Amino acid sequence: MRKLSLTVNGERHDIDAEDSATLLDVLRLKLFLTGTKSNCLEAECGVCTVLIDGRAINSCITLAAQCEGADIRTIEGMTDGDKLHPLQQSFIECDAVQCGYCIPGMIMTAAGLLNEKPNPSFEEIQEGLCGTLCRCTGYTKIVQAVQHAAQDGRVRQ
Amino acid sequence: MNMHPHRNQVNVGTRHKRIDALGKVTGATIYASDFSLPGMLHGRILRSEHAHAEIVALDLSVAEAMPGVRAVVTAKTMAFHRYGNLVKDFQVFAEGRVSYIGQAIAAVAADTPEIAEAAMQAIRVEYRPLPAVFDPIVAMQPDAPVLHPDLLQYKASPLADRAGNRSGRTTITVGDVEAGFRQSYRVYEHRFRTPPIHAGYTEPRVAVAQWDAAGIGTVWCNTQLLFDTQAALAEIFGVNVTQIRVIVPAIGGGFGGKLRIGMEHYALALARVAKRPVRVFSTSHEELSAALFRYGSVIEVKTGVDREGRILAKQARAIIDTGACSGSGPLVASTATLILAGPYRIPNLLLEGLAIYTNNHPGGSMRAPSGPMPNFAIESQMDIIAADLGIDPLEFRLRNIIHEGDLSATGQVMTGVGLEECLLKAADAIGWDRKNPENNRGKGLAIGAWMTSRGSSGAYLKLSADGRFTLMVGVVELGTGALTGVAQILADELSVDVADISVVSADSHITPYDFGSQGSRTMATVANAARLAAANLLGKMRPLAAKALGVPEAELQMRGKGFVAGEKSISFAALAAQAQMSAGGLIAEGTYIADPIAYDASRVRNHFSPGWPSPSFHAHAVDLQVDPMSGEITIKDYVVAQDVGYAINPSNLEGQIEGGVVQGIGQAISEELVQVEGRVLNANLTDYKMPTIMDVPPIRVVLVEHPSATGPYGAKGVGEPSCIEPPAAIANAVASATGKRILDLPVTAEKIARA
Repeated sequence: MRKLSLTVNGERHDIDAEDSATLLDVLRLKLFLTGTKSNCLEAECGVCTVLIDGRAINSCITLAAQCEGADIRTIEGMTDGDKLHPLQQSFIECDAVQCGYCIPGMIMTAAGLLNEKPNPSFEEIQEGLCGTLCRCTGYTKIVQAVQHAAQDGRVRQ
Repeated sequence: MNMHPHRNQVNVGTRHKRIDALGKVTGATIYASDFSLPGMLHGRILRSEHAHAEIVALDLSVAEAMPGVRAVVTAKTMAFHRYGNLVKDFQVFAEGRVSYIGQAIAAVAADTPEIAEAAMQAIRVEYRPLPAVFDPIVAMQPDAPVLHPDLLQYKASPLADRAGNRSGRTTITVGDVEAGFRQSYRVYEHRFRTPPIHAGYTEPRVAVAQWDAAGIGTVWCNTQLLFDTQAALAEIFGVNVTQIRVIVPAIGGGFGGKLRIGMEHYALALARVAKRPVRVFSTSHEELSAALFRYGSVIEVKTGVDREGRILAKQARAIIDTGACSGSGPLVASTATLILAGPYRIPNLLLEGLAIYTNNHPGGSMRAPSGPMPNFAIESQMDIIAADLGIDPLEFRLRNIIHEGDLSATGQVMTGVGLEECLLKAADAIGWDRKNPENNRGKGLAIGAWMTSRGSSGAYLKLSADGRFTLMVGVVELGTGALTGVAQILADELSVDVADISVVSADSHITPYDFGSQGSRTMATVANAARLAAANLLGKMRPLAAKALGVPEAELQMRGKGFVAGEKSISFAALAAQAQMSAGGLIAEGTYIADPIAYDASRVRNHFSPGWPSPSFHAHAVDLQVDPMSGEITIKDYVVAQDVGYAINPSNLEGQIEGGVVQGIGQAISEELVQVEGRVLNANLTDYKMPTIMDVPPIRVVLVEHPSATGPYGAKGVGEPSCIEPPAAIANAVASATGKRILDLPVTAEKIARA
């Protein structure tokens, strides 16, 4: 056990966690931020993706202890009050959501990409999102949603 | 019931946004895997390491003594009844003998997942290996090891024709196939093989279970079939169905892989012993080694044609490797006979579907469970024949496809047949006239038909005092958007906005019976039940409104979220408030099941699905390039023309079709659970290759609308079929590009390079 101080969605949390606790475990089990999803636990599916200082990472293989002092952003922190993030809005408008289980991870992955490349090409979207699996949509509408959010130039970080 | 378009069509047919999208993009939706209870324990399952063995000794003592362990459960802990949807051949825990790797032997529940894992690993099992069989062809031989010596004593569906290692056999016989071969100009025979694949849902199977003081066991889980799960659990535990409550908070994909119980029975058994809530979550390794996979198969096809390219006779059989328990196998093998026939006019047929036990892991019902394997075989062979006869593959198909009013292989009169339009539109869109625009580039076609499954749906509908309607249904919103479609329909039929319709679903103690989210039926059947509920509710609302306004019922018009008669009006909200004071509120119900489809019983034996309600038709066309050195495939363009009957929500239909195509591409070129002697060698997402966003070509969807006579507004089932044709279409395009014909899925770069 160790004491950790984590800044999640702009809010500081002081928690006790096992040395081996992953960021995913802490988010879901200690902070009840279940919007970040759990699946393969080996960084192959991407549903657990969150932003650390603006970069998309797999929270299932990241130790919580590594994240002290970092700005951790989860899907719950993407809305501004009731106002959706442009990516969230685009995913709805482009019908890019089906079962929805990968969608928080997909949106966080896309947010990380747009932080690096605000106007990504089709190939850059493919490269940026290829670590996050979606089995429902066939990705077509997900690409459209990311393009739509980027083209509008509405993404703020 | 009038199934045809309503006059006030405002929402139906539009790209209305999904009613469940907001919770999903904000992370607010609670899925089964997010659900927890206070004091909840964590369960793990000890699974067999042997494909076939006697259990000589099972030592639980170390595990039971570990601090934090609250329950250890085996077959001896309590009386577990055998279960299974067609043949009762599944055991909750092995009893003295294991017959596949991954079979559950024991389960433990502990304070933390880590303790549960350690306790599971501390259980000692001593095995004595038995002879095993892994190839269904070998398992059919008389001297093969017998998986279920007491098979004929098991409870089973009367259609499951059992003998030896066979859990089911279905035949279709039309005309005289031998005479047809004798008349044929040429006869072709091929054998194809397809491996098992995983459904690939991103939320693993999970269950949280708790027994209450009244003896009711509740499971919060991610099953697709609420009531089948309830019935199976009641059977296993020997209790009445209402002593089991099944709730699906939300589900992260299913694709048929979550039709049958997965973790629910283990969680309930552990919770009963521990007297605490227990959660059991399937690991990624368990998913890829111990889930209900799409069945592997062997498909044999013999086809005779005349000089003009008309098919005269076909003899074919689909051998489904069910693994050690039959699961959906007899049904999958049975339906496969109709896929073997294909959407073609063939005067002489002898088709056989066989479900065969092996010591592989049991499979299940992945999306269009009988579809891709036989379709890959027959549609590959269509191109082989076309090439041999020197006829264009498009032309060869056009000469043989069914048309309106033709008979299916089982003698069903086919109606709403949009197949020719699909085929011509797909070929046109892909630019079929230029089949091989450059070296190593080729185009391929594949066509097929699929059903909109039957099964009952019930719906409750109530009007609340705020003027909003709540629909309660027993299906799970899998992500297809079916319940958004139902809400669009209700909104139009009740003259309100979609936002005025709330949908509550998937609680077996609250929502009415439903056959469940399977078989491309959800939209079609639930919508019809909901429409009947709406009609019944309006039948209660109208007299109350007429009385309130002092006018004859005939003068009432529905408008502006209320009833209007001349200058007078009453809102639905006011009507509901009045009804609550004077008439006990406003509630109604509707139930629906599609009529049985007539067929020719003399043609079939032991067929589970001889008549297909609202059949759908589809044509896929692909344009791809093959690297001549590596064999790597690059898909340049992919077109699906699908006869959906009527598009209730075109966006959601496109989403179903695009997603199914990508699953089909996975099965076509990269996905395979590699099994050696019953052990999956690639049980992780690094080595099991599902398509990523990098692998996806542009997919173009053409919606064709030849209405169904019974589907709502003419709609047909759309959920499953788009994964059926990609393997055949891609194999045909690869053959066109390279001249190389791969008969075993997947069509990998390696196989192409070596061919």
